[in-house]
Amino acid sequence: MHPEKQKHGFEPKIIAFVCTWCTYAGADLAGTSRMQYPSNVRVLKFPCTGRIDPVFILKAFQQGADGVLVSGCHPGDCHYIAGNFHARRRFAAFRKLLEFIGVDLHRLQFSWVSAAEGGKWVEVVTDLTEKVRAMGPMNEFKELALEEQWSGSINTPELKEAYNQI
Amino acid sequence: MMQVIDTSIHAAVAEAIRREAQRLLSTGEVSAIVGYASARRTGAVQPIVINDADSAAQLVFTSASVNNLAVYLTTAKKEIPKTGKIGIVVKGCDLKALVGLMGEFQLKRENLYLIGVPCVGVLASTVQPAVELTSETIAPKCRECDAHLPTGCDFVPDVALPPMVPLETKYATEIARLEALTPAGRWAYWQEQFAKCIKCYACRQVCPFCFCEQCLCDRNKPQMVETTPRPSGNTAWHIVRAMHLAGRCAGCAECERACPMDIPLNLLNRKMAKELKELFEYEAGLEVNESGPLATFTDKDDQSFIK
Repeated sequence: MHPEKQKHGFEPKIIAFVCTWCTYAGADLAGTSRMQYPSNVRVLKFPCTGRIDPVFILKAFQQGADGVLVSGCHPGDCHYIAGNFHARRRFAAFRKLLEFIGVDLHRLQFSWVSAAEGGKWVEVVTDLTEKVRAMGPMNEFKELALEEQWSGSINTPELKEAYNQI
Repeated sequence: MMQVIDTSIHAAVAEAIRREAQRLLSTGEVSAIVGYASARRTGAVQPIVINDADSAAQLVFTSASVNNLAVYLTTAKKEIPKTGKIGIVVKGCDLKALVGLMGEFQLKRENLYLIGVPCVGVLASTVQPAVELTSETIAPKCRECDAHLPTGCDFVPDVALPPMVPLETKYATEIARLEALTPAGRWAYWQEQFAKCIKCYACRQVCPFCFCEQCLCDRNKPQMVETTPRPSGNTAWHIVRAMHLAGRCAGCAECERACPMDIPLNLLNRKMAKELKELFEYEAGLEVNESGPLATFTDKDDQSFIK
């Protein structure tokens, strides 16, 4: 019934921040239309793209996301009139900042997906998943989070020696 | 090649400030004046708030008058009585910050008496306050200054600015150097810088625009940014700081001056200012603008990065 699932060495974690009125409904449409798309994506529903704070994206990367997708209504279609216009400016600035800090922008995708565009949702998610899969895991933020828990490198000669003596 | 910068106007400027402060306080036109006074260390200058005409003699202005006094007028600082009209001594860069605060409805123009200062530049935070102002000791922000003469003030000392020596830019050069690196190279550079951070939040305390009653980075339910002075929290703090100042920062570079670990904080702010100028043709200036670039929009904004 289902097409044969291809086995991959690396399954990226994709976090999708979506607006409830357009993209969430679009993803729902993709589901009810039985379209296939990678299960790597974890969808988080927000009232509006205007509610999506750049900090959320940062947090997603810190918590182990390999790619982040932010998606909402097309310009002019916002349920709250102008939320996506504000979001468009904010994310235009934020991605420039991330780029300057040294984050590869290929891991961060923005898109407009309306409630009728189940097909476009499938396409966006598949593209991002495959792109991130080719790039491999996002290690920068994860390593920082690891340093937060360990006060030093975890494979020092001292630790190795202690381990071998056990 | 080292060039000495002509600071001969400072004596006349200081004298004019003292006379004006004396007049304002004796006539009761303002209830207090925020200005600069000599500090204990030779040549050093510190902020002072005076509210009687006799204290006006304490006011000075030298190339060590580095502080942006606008920070004392924000809601985050309670030192200044918020009654009546307040006089404040401002350099061009400080005036940009005040104008930004007025645009964000934090201050009212009618409650301020602006004493503008024609400024040839101030000393960098890394040198002793008594040294001579030269092309080596000048603060990096002053190299790129476009507001030597503040405009729209209530009082500006009648002093002619000496001709400005063109100086080599620091921020623009450094931004261009970093932009030419690979993402991994930039990541390595910034990690090295952020690793120095001790989370003293001096950059936040000294910033005129960090006036939130509760900072997002202090909240713990939910905790958006780790408060530990370790790599993950440091990186998040500096990204959030730069993002929250994007389109607001007036470029007074107080964050960088106050930083005890010499993290190039203003470099992030300048980069964001550059990007916002390119994207939305916005620049912090001397005109009150009631909606900053990220608080407004047009239907023709760039969306080439959105699928």
